[in-house]
This record gives sequence, C-alpha cells and structure tokens, in this order.
Amino acid sequence: MESKPDRSSQAPGVMREPNRQAPQAAMAGLYQRAVRDAFIKLDPRTAIGNPVMFLVWVGTIVTLLVTIDPNLFGTVRADTGSQRLLNGTITIILFFTVIFANFAEAVAEGRGKAQADSLRSSRADTPARKVLPDGTIEQVSSTALRKGDRVKVSIGELIPADGEVVAGVASVDESAITGESAPVLKQPGTDIASSVTGGTRVVSDELTIQITADPGQGFIDRMIALVEGAKRSKTPNEIALTVFLAVLTQVFLIVVATLSPLGNYVKTPVTIAILVSLLVALIPTTIGGLLSAIGIAGMNRVSQFNVIATSGRAVEACGDVNTLILDKTGTITLGNRLADEFIPVNNHSLEEVATVALAGSLFDETPEGKSIVQLAEKLGAKIDFDKSSCEGVEFSARTRMSGTDLPNGVEVRKGAIDAIRGFVRSRGGTIPPAFDEAYERVSKLGGTPLGICQNGDLYGVIYLKDIVKPGLKERFDQLRRMGVRTIMLTGDNRITASVIAQEAGVDDFIAEATPEDKIDVIKREQSQGKLVAMTGDGTNDAPALAQANVGVAMNSGTQAAKEAANMVDLDSDPTKLIDLVAIGKQLLITRGALTTFSIANDIAKYFAIIPTIFAAAGIGSLNIMGLKSPQSAILAALIYNALIIPALIPLALNGVKFRPLTADQLLQRNILIYGLGGVIAPFIAIKIIDVLLPIA
Amino acid sequence: MNSKLSEDFTFIWSAWNRRKYPTYLFLALCLNVVLASAAFAATGDAFSRPQIYALGILGLGTIALSAYLFVVMFQPERF
Amino acid sequence: MQVIADADKEDIPMLQGWIQIGLTLAIIVAITPIFGGYIARVYLGERTPFDRVLNPIDRLIFNLSGINPQTQMTGWQYARAILFSNLAMSILLFAILMLQGILPLNPTGLGAPTWDTALHTTISFITNTNQQHYSGETTYSYLAQTLGLGLMFFTSAGTGIAVAIAFIRGLTGRPLGNFYVDLTQAITRILLPISIVGAIAFVAAGVPETLSGPIIVPTLEDPNIRQAIALGPVAHFEIIKQLGENGGGFYAINSAHPFENPNGFTNLIQTLTMISIPTSMIYTYGVIANNRKQAWLVFGMVFILYVIFIIVTAIGEYNGNSQVNAILGSVQPNLEGKEVRFGWAQSALFAVTTTGTMTGAVNGMLDSFMPAGGFIFLSDLFLQIIWGGQGTGTAYLFCYLILAVFVTGLMVGRTPEFLGRKIEKNEVVLTSFLLLLVHPIFVLIPGAIALAFPEQLAGISNPGFHGLAQVMYEYASAAANNGSGFEGLADTQPVPTALWWNLSTSFSLLGGRYIPIIALLLLAEGMSQKQPVPFTTGTLRTDTVLFTGVTAGVVVIMGALTFFPVLALGPIAEGFQLGK
Repeated sequence: MESKPDRSSQAPGVMREPNRQAPQAAMAGLYQRAVRDAFIKLDPRTAIGNPVMFLVWVGTIVTLLVTIDPNLFGTVRADTGSQRLLNGTITIILFFTVIFANFAEAVAEGRGKAQADSLRSSRADTPARKVLPDGTIEQVSSTALRKGDRVKVSIGELIPADGEVVAGVASVDESAITGESAPVLKQPGTDIASSVTGGTRVVSDELTIQITADPGQGFIDRMIALVEGAKRSKTPNEIALTVFLAVLTQVFLIVVATLSPLGNYVKTPVTIAILVSLLVALIPTTIGGLLSAIGIAGMNRVSQFNVIATSGRAVEACGDVNTLILDKTGTITLGNRLADEFIPVNNHSLEEVATVALAGSLFDETPEGKSIVQLAEKLGAKIDFDKSSCEGVEFSARTRMSGTDLPNGVEVRKGAIDAIRGFVRSRGGTIPPAFDEAYERVSKLGGTPLGICQNGDLYGVIYLKDIVKPGLKERFDQLRRMGVRTIMLTGDNRITASVIAQEAGVDDFIAEATPEDKIDVIKREQSQGKLVAMTGDGTNDAPALAQANVGVAMNSGTQAAKEAANMVDLDSDPTKLIDLVAIGKQLLITRGALTTFSIANDIAKYFAIIPTIFAAAGIGSLNIMGLKSPQSAILAALIYNALIIPALIPLALNGVKFRPLTADQLLQRNILIYGLGGVIAPFIAIKIIDVLLPIA
Repeated sequence: MNSKLSEDFTFIWSAWNRRKYPTYLFLALCLNVVLASAAFAATGDAFSRPQIYALGILGLGTIALSAYLFVVMFQPERF
Repeated sequence: MQVIADADKEDIPMLQGWIQIGLTLAIIVAITPIFGGYIARVYLGERTPFDRVLNPIDRLIFNLSGINPQTQMTGWQYARAILFSNLAMSILLFAILMLQGILPLNPTGLGAPTWDTALHTTISFITNTNQQHYSGETTYSYLAQTLGLGLMFFTSAGTGIAVAIAFIRGLTGRPLGNFYVDLTQAITRILLPISIVGAIAFVAAGVPETLSGPIIVPTLEDPNIRQAIALGPVAHFEIIKQLGENGGGFYAINSAHPFENPNGFTNLIQTLTMISIPTSMIYTYGVIANNRKQAWLVFGMVFILYVIFIIVTAIGEYNGNSQVNAILGSVQPNLEGKEVRFGWAQSALFAVTTTGTMTGAVNGMLDSFMPAGGFIFLSDLFLQIIWGGQGTGTAYLFCYLILAVFVTGLMVGRTPEFLGRKIEKNEVVLTSFLLLLVHPIFVLIPGAIALAFPEQLAGISNPGFHGLAQVMYEYASAAANNGSGFEGLADTQPVPTALWWNLSTSFSLLGGRYIPIIALLLLAEGMSQKQPVPFTTGTLRTDTVLFTGVTAGVVVIMGALTFFPVLALGPIAEGFQLGK
C-alpha cells in the first residue's frame, strides 16, 4: 500500500496514477492461476457463452477427428501421413487459440480476484468486545455480531463490522480500504465522521460502535463481490457487440460451408480441415476472445483508482456522460479559504495593516491563519517583539475572533466583521464608513471578509478568498473538448458563485443551491437526453445520486448515500469524477479499437488463404504476399490469428492510451492506427511467419 | 396388452423428457440415416459409406451451430 | 475523316465513349437536387405544381378505399400493410397470368404458362425484381403484360419509395406515416407524371405503342421466307420499366431490342430514368433531415464507387478479349452480345447502372461482358448500394452508415449514436441481419446447392468459373431484387431444370425483398422512439468526409468479406484464365 500525499494538494491537472492495490507476490501467482482457469474454461458449458470461441472449440474437435483419420469426410488425394501432420498442427493451433482467449479472460478476472483477496484479508474473523444491555462486556467473534449490537473498540484493535460511532472520539486507519495512510478522526453525531467500516483499525483512543450490517452484508463484503465480478452481467453495448459478432460468425459459417460445393464445381476441392481453418481465420476471434477481458479490465481500472463500481454499465455510462455536476467546496475549490488582500481603513497604510495582521495571526494554526501570515510576510511585514512573550487568543464559537495579546498589553484581534465591530466599540473606537464599503466589496468578489483591529483602532479588512484547485481549468477545457459540460453547485450567493465559476472555468453554475436543486438540475439535463454524473456524500444527496446516471458516493459519506450511488470512491475525492469519465471513454475506445482491428485483419487472412488453396483454379496471382504453399499460408494465418490474442492482452487489460481530443480527432487517430493498421499489420506478420515456418 | 403398450410409451416419453440432449442427439442420428442415404445415392462412388455418414453428421452439426448462432443473435442476454 | 491519321482514328471512339459517359453522369448529378427536392416536398406535405389536379384524385382514392390519410402506422402496421397489399396483388396477378388464354387482348392466342413460371413471374414482379424465366413476346398476352405486369411496375416501385420515406422519417424522429398514403403519392406524384411524359417521348422516338398483333413481313434475303415482327403497347411499358427500376422487358432481349430502345436518345432517357430516383432519394433525405451536407457526402461516396465501377467495366470492354485480339492482331472493343448502336461505352454505362440500381433491364448481354464487367456486376448486386433498389437502396445506404457508426463509433469514447440516437442491440440485430446475413442465406446457400448438383438441378451452359458466376449471379439478382440475368442457365420452361430455378429463385426473391423491408421499418420505428442525445464535440459527426470515407471502407470490407470467395472463383479466376 503506497502512501499518498495530502489529497487536497494533489494537482488534479494531471491524470493520476492508479493505486496498484494488488501486491506483487499475488501477481506472480495470478498468471499460474490464470493458466489453470484457461483450461477449466474449456468446459463446453462455459465455452458456449462465447459464440466466437465456441466455434473455434468445435472446429478444434473436427480437425482432431481428421487428424486421427484424414479420410473421415472423403478420401484426400495427398498422402495420409502429410495430411495427418498438417491437420494435427492445425488442431494444436486452434486449441491454443481457445486457450489464449480463455487465458485473457482469466487474467482479467484474476486481477480482480487478487484485489478481492487483499480486501478479504482485512475482513478476517476478528474478536470483538460486545456491550451487553446491562453494560457488561462479552468477548465474541465478529461473525456473531448482528445489526444493532454495540461493541467497544480500543487502540490497536480492528473494527469488527460496519457501524456508527455512538460514543468516543478516536483516529481510525482506513488504509485497508482506501489506501490512505493518514488516520481519520471518528466521532459520534456527525453525518460523515461517525460511520466506520469493518476491517479498519483504531489507532488512538476508544470508540463505542453500533453495528449496522449483519455478517457478510457489510460494505467490504459487497465490495469483494463487485471486484471479483461475481455479479458481472453484460453491458448494453457488450450485448450489442455480441450480436454483431454472432452475425459475422454466422455469415462466415455460411460462406465457408458453401465454399465446398463451389470448390468442387471448379474442380479444386478443399479438405474439411482447411475449411475449418478458413472459418476460424475469418470469424472475429480477436475481439471475440478479448471482449469480456476488456469489460472486466475496465472495472478493474476503476477499482485501481480506488473507486468501486457496482456494474460495468456504470463504467460505460461514465464514457457517455454529457454533464458533470460538481459541488464547489472540496471539488472545485480547496476546502480552505486563503488570504488574498488586505484592505486598509482609517488612513492606515498597507504595511501597517500587514504588520497588525501578522501580529494577530502569530498563534493561528488554521490554514486561514497561516495564509494571513504568508501574505503579510510577502508584503514585508515583520514583528518587532518576541513571540514567546506574547499570548495567543484562540478562536471560539462565542467570540468568533482570535488574536494575540502583545507584551505591552496591546490586544490584536481579527475575526468576523460583527465581532470585530463589537470589540472596537467596546474599546472606545469608532467604525468609519470605509470599513463597511470594504467588507461589502469583498463579499461581492466572492470572498470572506475578516476585520482586523488593534485595541480600539480599526485597521482594515482581510480578504479571504476561495482557492480554485490548481489545474482544474485545464481539466475542464479537456472535458469541454470531449463534449462534457460542467455545472458547479454551491450554497454561495450568485455573485460569489459567478466569480468562482469563471475562475474555475466551469460552463454553468447554480448558486444558493439546495439539495433539491441538485435533483432538478439532473432531471432538467436528463430531459434533454443528457447523461449526468455527480458526486455526493450526505444523506440528503441520496435521491440525487440515485437519479443521476453516474452517482459517485464518497466513502466518507453516509450509508444512505453509498446505497443510492452506483460507484463509491474509497478516497473520498470528488475530483475523481473527471478521471472516471476518462476511464469510461478509455474502455469504450479499447473495445471499438479491437473490434475494428479484428475485422480489418480479415482482409489479409483472405488474401493469404483463398489464393493459395485455390491456386489450381488459376488465381495464384492474387497471392500478393508470395506465401510458400497452401499449407504454409494456412498455418501462418492461423498462427497469426492465435498469437494476436495474447499479443493484445496487455492492450485489452490496460486500455488504449486515452487522449482528451474531440470526437473527430479521436476517430481520425484511431481509425488510422487500428483500422488501417489492422489492414496492414497482418500482411506483414503473416508473411514473416510464412518465411519462418520450416515447411515447404 | 394395449394399456401395457401405452404405459411403455409414457415411460419412454418421460425418459426422453428427462434427458433432452441425448434425445436430440439420437434424433439427429436418425435424421442422418435418411440424409446420408440420399446423399449416398446422389454422389455415387465418390464417398464410402462411413464417409457419407460422417459428412451427414458434420452437416447436421453445422446446421446446429448455425441455429445456436441465431439464438445468440436474438437472445444475446442469455450468453 | 480522311485527314485523320490512323493512330488518332483509334482514339476517336475512345474519347467519344468517355464523353458520352461523362455527359450522362453530369446530367445525373444535375437532376438529383431538383428531383430529390421535389420528392421531399411531396412527402413533407408541401405544395407541389400537381396539387390542383391530383389532390381531388387522391381524395377520391382515399374515399373509395376507405383510408384515413391522417392515420399514423407503427412499424409493424406499416409492414403488415405492405405484406397484405402485396399478397392481394400477387393473387390478382397470378390469376391474370393463368387465365390469360380466356381473357381479351391476346392477339397471338397464348395459353396459360406453367404454374411455376406464373408463380415465379408473380413473385418476381411483386418484389420489383422482374427476373424473367420466359420470353415476353411468346409467353404473355398484351393484357397480362400491360395490365398484370404493368400494374406491378407502379405498385412495387411505389412500395420501395414508401419504405424509404418511412425509413427516413423514422431516422429523423418522425412518425413513420401511412403506407397507403405514401404509396398513392409515390404513384400519383412521382411515377405517373414522369411516365406519361416519358411515354410520349418514347413514342416520338420510335417506340411502338399499339394493340395490334405481330406483323408478317418477307425477309430481305429471301422474299419467300416470312418473318413475324412482334409489336405491342411498348412505350408506356418501357418508361415505367426504367423509372420504377423494374427492368422486366416487353421483349425477351429487353432494352437491347430495337423497339424497346431504338436509338441513343431513348438509351439516354432509359439510363437517366432508371438512376434518377435512387440518386434523388439521397438528396430527399438531406432535405427531410435538414442536413444537405451529409446527403451530398453520401451521394459523393456512392458516386465515386459508381464511377470506379463504370471505369473498370468500360476499360475491360474497350480493351476487348485478349484471345480475340491475338487473332485479330489489334486491340478491338468487345462488342459480342452488344448493340452496335450503343457501342462499348453506353453498354458499359447502362450495364453498371442497371445492376447497381436493381433495375435489371439490359441493353446488351451481361453474360458477354469481359470478366472485369462480370466482377463489377456481381459486386453491384452484393453491395446493393451503388444506388441500390427503388427506395430500399437509399435505406440500405443509411443502414451502412449505422453499421459504420457501430463498428467504429466506439473509438471516439462514447457508445455509438447516429443522428443523436443510440445504436443498441435492436438496431444492431436489424441492420447487421439485413445488410450482412440476408444475402449469404438467399444467395450462397441456394447457389451452393445448385452447384452441388449441376446436372440434376442447375443445367449450366458454361462449365467452370463462368458457370459458377452464372449461378451465383442468378441468385444474387433474385435476392437483390435486380432481375437481370447472366443468362446461359436452362431456366425457361419446358426445360426440366426450370422448375428448380423458378422455385429456388422465388425463395430468394421473397427473402431478399420482405425480410429487409420488415427490418427497415422496425429499425425506423425503434429509432424514431428513441430519446435524442444532444450533439456535442464529443459526439461522432457522421457528416464529415472522414466518416463518409470510413463508411465506404466498411461497405467495401463487409461486402468483400462475404463474397470474396465467390468473386475469386467466378469472374476473377475467369479473368486470369482469359489473360493467360
């Protein structure tokens, strides 16, 4: 588990590297297991689920029969020994074609399983201290816990099951599920910080937890099921593609089956083994063998980003999303506001204000306070007294201000406008009209104003500004190029919202938004045929998450939100929505690229096989590759056909490299690489294999 | 005698219903007897008897595969 | 002429031929927007010049037949209306053919044809194919030809137009319309007015239009020998034969007959009329979908393929048969089986057009073309979109666009969509079935059976590659509803193999006509009911040169994948054999 830097500081401008959750040791075993699974998948009951590969499998049996007896379906003219050798070689290649396709699927599934195993290890049977109704504590196994039970968990112990904190405050290490090494503070009574997940570890203090899930029903259990693909069903696009591949397969079955009488009529008969070879070469085995692997790998890629998708459909929908609805705070802006400007009043100079602000923030450890210090120092402010001789005044909800008591008895205060106004008056000072103007101006700019004073002397206003996450503007530009609109939702007033919206580069914003507005926006967009994605964490987000086509719940969010969403982000990073769009598109592009490639390959295979097997009919000149003989041509085409599957497994599993381009640019680029490339590549590859084959 | 016969048929019928695939296979082989004989008559000496039967099975197998692909086309959700 | 050197003399017919082809193509392009715009006006319910005359007639027809023109049909209702009306007309036609001996207008006293010939003729004409396993002048009476077959000329062509219009409406999200209204308007607003004008032009150009029987004349060679020259009501038959892409000739040798197609002028009109509706329908789509750019791009794609096909065929004919040339000692165009009055250029143009547009009329023997031509004609039939059948060709064209979107559209990172509508399972089943599977089922399977039993069933005149091409052509012509023949097959009664040909091609005719029509209508219905997705920069644009090029690639690859073996063992092998 790698440790990640503070997520708020992570630049969202770059596509982040996925967390490789699967440990390296497990990866080595993964291939062994995949090889074993590849053979298990030969079971006809499993094989029948993939029409293209099922035909290859049946073809393998037919060629095996003609290997045993080459004269089974009609006396061949060539000598039986060489026929047997050819048919036997064909059988072996066809068999490996099936195995390679099975292997691709098994590797993809294995990756998910490896991830599930690492999750499962955290779910091991743990002892739990159950609080009985009379207050006594009983040692039980975590599997004995039921919904509604209460348990106590102390420092160093694993939390036995999902639940809500009902008492105590403690840090919890959630790295087992999030990969986030920094512990999270958990306490009762808050929407978000009170929910805990089974399998995470308490690293300080003690919590009392009310269990919310029966054994096997917890969040991790459901995640394991999802990651393992236990409930995997085909997405609509996969179903449509399956139909298309079945039609193509059917077409080639008819073409090859009717070729026999055609060949006989022009007195160039072909053997059954060659017909089977031609059939296998023509049916789209490349995409047929990799289709399910691509889908599973898409789900895995999402989970490597520490997002759990409830279905492949959700991942596909990410690629189709037209509108992203983003919350301002935490998604578009950093959670904290930072000092941007000092506005002097009462004829004080900027330096004076900076110096007083610096003095007043010496003991302020909040990000806002630190940013005031930074800004003041940038303006050249210095303190001319010893910090250790001063006394800090902490912020409290009652006073709504903080500050510093200097050694000479001077009181420096900064805080909410009303609070400072009251403080100045209480020290006998007056409020100039310029002060009201200044703080109103700040409000209009979308910032938060703080007053700053020294005793009764009002110095000015500190402008705290919302900071848009760095790199977001570029991301939104990319999204716009891909045809995705962004809408920002915020509780701020219109003016503030419009300032932030413009700065962040979102396409639209909804100010003073309520949770109901979210649903309205989603419904409005959907009524125009758009697909909408959003993130949410609170219980009041649940209806909107359910309504959205892609709803991503934060792991830190409430159970209700997670139930309603079709994805859960374990890192609770709402900016990830943008990455999810890219992953969805990448999945679809990969599928399209391999389909195009697979079909384009057929041209070369036709040109390899037909002219050579019908050379006696005088069409040998069509053998533009100059292949040595019919046997060599068929074997070369089949070997290419078999080897291209494992060769493309990395592409299928990792996906085509994604670029944020417009549709036309993407089409142009991909049609060149996979369409034209798919026409040309096999000509070269088949020729090379033909040269290398040690037969005449 | 008559009731015995109908009992037998009922038994055979239920046995067939239990074992669908062997039944289909059996019926296919029966059909092949007809097909292969016709083909044998038509082709003359080109094929030996076992070869024509094998060809018949291959042809039926091809038709079965084709039927299977039609099922995939129209009910892809099942696969 | 005397001053022209010998070397230049050879170039004159070549240049002349290409100019003929080029001028005809220019007229075709010029007609397209005018005629296409007119068809769109008719079906968008806008005013047309014929309204004053035709509106009362339309109303009368609707009132008499009890049709409420306002009723909208679903895909299934539309398809059922087509099936039932065609069935009713088939029964009528079959009855006329079988009873022609006792019906009037039978100057030569012809009796009933055999039942299978009548059945095949009925199916062939109801499906807009007009494949003929008979000689018109010696098999069917004037009544059977003009009333029976002539009726089908209009209704089967009108059915095609109606299907295309319903399809375009569905694609663009409109309700499909009412079949009876669309059919009536296709006949009264499009087919009938042009036919009347065209028939008069044909009569003026020397095409007979008479009910009198054959005339007996002494031959020039020997006045004692007398020859019967068949006449008949040809002119009006001829124009709708071409305009409706029907192609069933009044005489056996079709538009090669000097009474059907006497001169260069009539030949030009015949070429233009047979291609004008399928070219214009593409423009009609552009108007209805309000995307003329896409219409012109698609038009351009087909036009380029069409021109390539013409060039390949024409060069093959111009260079002639190398074995004949070797005997002659010079390169001579292949004029065997052609009319000298049309020459190699107009014959090639006519042949590519007639096979491409599914008309099936011929002004020369297709069988006699060089293998390059045979390759092109077969490709025309297999692709079905180098203009394609009346209406259905245009619909196929857009199905190819849908298929191209489905195969390559994923590569832009969205699930595929066409005209803002998602291409999902149903669309894929229907388009891939009708574009990819119908032909293999109805061409390759019966073709393979016929070739497996060449003596018993097929009765092929040419053994080897050419015979294979003949058989495959016959079924491809039937399944594509073209109707032209490579000929040379013993398919005319009373030859024993005629029964096989009549019945097996009937199977291909029906399958190639009604399965696609039903699929097209269901496809249109499904598309019209989809919620349109808004267009963004992330959406695949289908009206670009790039995507149109991709579509052309998909058309060629898909066509080639299915029929490469047939082409390789037929015309390609024959070409190599001749070239040896």
